[in-house]
Amino acid sequence: MRLSLIVNGMEHELDVRPTARLIDVLRLDLGLTGVKEGCSEGECGACTVIVDDKAVNSCLVLAGQMRGKKVLTVEGLADDDGLDTLQRMFIEHGAVQCGFCTPGMLMSAKALLLADPHPSEEAIRLALAGNLCRCTGYATIVAAVRAASEQPAEAAPPPPATGRDGKAV
Amino acid sequence: MPRAELLTPSGLGELTAALQRTTSSSRLLAGGTDLVRSMRHDHWEPDLLIDLSGLRELVYVRLEGDRLRVGALTTFAELQTDPLVRRHARCLAEAAARVGSAQIRNVATVGGNIANASPCADGVTALVALGADVRTIDGGGRSTVRPLEQVLVGSGRTSLAPDEAITEVSFAALGSDRRTTFVKIGSRATVTVARLSMALIVKYDGVSGTVSEVRVALGAVGETAFRDARLEELLEGRAAHEESAHLFADGCTDAVRRAIPGRSSLPYKQRAAVGLAYDAWNALGLCDRCQPAWG
Ligand SMILES: Cc1cc2nc3c(=O)[nH]c(=O)nc-3n(C[C@H](O)[C@H](O)[C@H](O)COP(=O)(O)OP(=O)(O)OC[C@H]3O[C@@H](n4cnc5c(N)ncnc54)[C@H](O)[C@@H]3O)c2cc1C
Ligand code: FES
Ligand code: FES
Repeated sequence: MRLSLIVNGMEHELDVRPTARLIDVLRLDLGLTGVKEGCSEGECGACTVIVDDKAVNSCLVLAGQMRGKKVLTVEGLADDDGLDTLQRMFIEHGAVQCGFCTPGMLMSAKALLLADPHPSEEAIRLALAGNLCRCTGYATIVAAVRAASEQPAEAAPPPPATGRDGKAV
Repeated sequence: MPRAELLTPSGLGELTAALQRTTSSSRLLAGGTDLVRSMRHDHWEPDLLIDLSGLRELVYVRLEGDRLRVGALTTFAELQTDPLVRRHARCLAEAAARVGSAQIRNVATVGGNIANASPCADGVTALVALGADVRTIDGGGRSTVRPLEQVLVGSGRTSLAPDEAITEVSFAALGSDRRTTFVKIGSRATVTVARLSMALIVKYDGVSGTVSEVRVALGAVGETAFRDARLEELLEGRAAHEESAHLFADGCTDAVRRAIPGRSSLPYKQRAAVGLAYDAWNALGLCDRCQPAWG
C-alpha cells in the first residue's frame, strides 16, 4: 500500500505492507536505526519516537496510522547547529552507558520538555517510567533531563562537536 | 498468508461502509497497544483492519445535562488531564493516569480498553463503578446503547458483533457531594498491569459525616470488572471513621472470595484486597488515615 509519511521534517512516499509497524518502516525502509527494538511489546521504550509532539512506542502502532502526522526520531533531534540540549546534557551527566536505551530516553524526555519545559523531578520520572535502562540506574538520566530543563531556552548552542566542558562529543 | 487490508475511514459514513465489509477475522484498530502487540506476538493477521485513528470526531469529552459523554477514540492521556473528567468522574481520571506508561497513554483509547475486555483493564473498572453505557454503530449505520456490563461477556470476550464499533461511553456526571477514587496493585509501582484494582464512589454528607449510595467495582479478579451489592450495602449510611474502614476491608476480602472461590490466586488477592481497601478509603479523605490492624 502507498503511504506518505513525514519523518524528521522530510516527506517520504513509500510502498509498505498494510500491517507494517512504524518501527519496521523507520528502521528498514528509511534506515533510521537510531530507533531501537527491545521488547516489541511496549514494555521497554527503546523504540520511542515523537508523533505530533507526543512520545509513542513505534513497535505498537502501524505505519499506516501515521498519515498526516509528523514523526520525529532521534536522528531528527540534532540540527545544523549541533546536538540538542538534551543530547549534550546526557553526555555531560554520563547518562549514556551501553546506549541502547538512549534514543528512546531522549525522545521521551524531549516530548516531556515540549509539553512542560520545567518539569518537577516527579514529572521527569513519570515521563521516563516507560523507558527501561539496564545500565545507569536512572539517576544520571534524570539529572541530565533536569539540567536540560534548566538551560535558558534561547541560549545559543555551543559550537558543533564540542561539549560544554570542551570535550569532543 | 493472504495480505491484510487496511481501511482508513475519516468519518462515520466511511466507517459504516468499512464495517459492512467485516468478517469474524476482521479487526478494528484504535491505539494499537493491544492489537498490534498481539498480531506480532501471536503471528497472525486479520483479513481486514479498520483504522479508527482518523475519526477525530470520536475524540471528545462533553457534559450534556447531567451526563458526561466520552468519545471512544479519546486517549487515556486526554482523560487523565481533562477538566470535566477530573471534576465529574475523578476515578476515571485516576485510572487513566495509572494505565501503562506515557507512551501507552498517548495512544491507548477508552474504546480499545473496553473492546479488548481484559479483566485488568483499568478504564473498565472505573467505568463499571460509574455505571457507564456504551454506544455503538454497526455496518447498517444503526446506533444503539447498552450497559457496559452487557458488552463485557468474559475475559477477552465481548458481545460486540464483528461489524460493530464503539463510538461513545457515557455515564451520570458525579456531583460535588460525591467522593471517588481508583486504586490498583500490580507487580511494580508504575507501568504495571493490575493484579487487583478498585474504583470507589460514595456520596458524602458532611453534616452527618456519613456515606451512602456506595458503588464499588473490583477489577483483575474474575472474568470482568464487577460491582458487588453486598459489599456496597455494608458501607451504606456508615459514619466516615476508622471502624467503617475496617468493615470495608473485611467486605472486600469477602467479595474477592465470592468472585474467585478456590482459585490459586485467592490468598494473594484477598490480602491485596485489604491493602487496596484502605488505600481507597484513605484516598477519599473523609477521616484521619486508617491502617489495617497488621499494617
Ligand atoms: C506495555 C503495556 C502496558 C499496558 N498497561 C495497561 C494498564 O496499566 N491498564 C490497562 O487498562 N491497560 C493496559 N494496557 C493495555 C492497553 O493499552 C489498553 O487496553 C488500551 O486501552 C487499548 O486501547 P487501544 O486503543 O490501544 O486498542 P487497540 O489495541 O487498537 O484495540 C484493542 C481491541 O479493541 C478493539 N477495538 C478498539 N477500538 C474499538 C472500538 N472503538 N470499537 C470496537 N472495538 C474496538 C480492537 O479490535 C482490538 O480487538 C497496556 C498495554 C501495554 C502494551
Ligand atoms: S521495543 Fe517498543 S517498547 Fe520495547
Ligand atoms: S545505557 Fe545501557 S540500557 Fe541504558
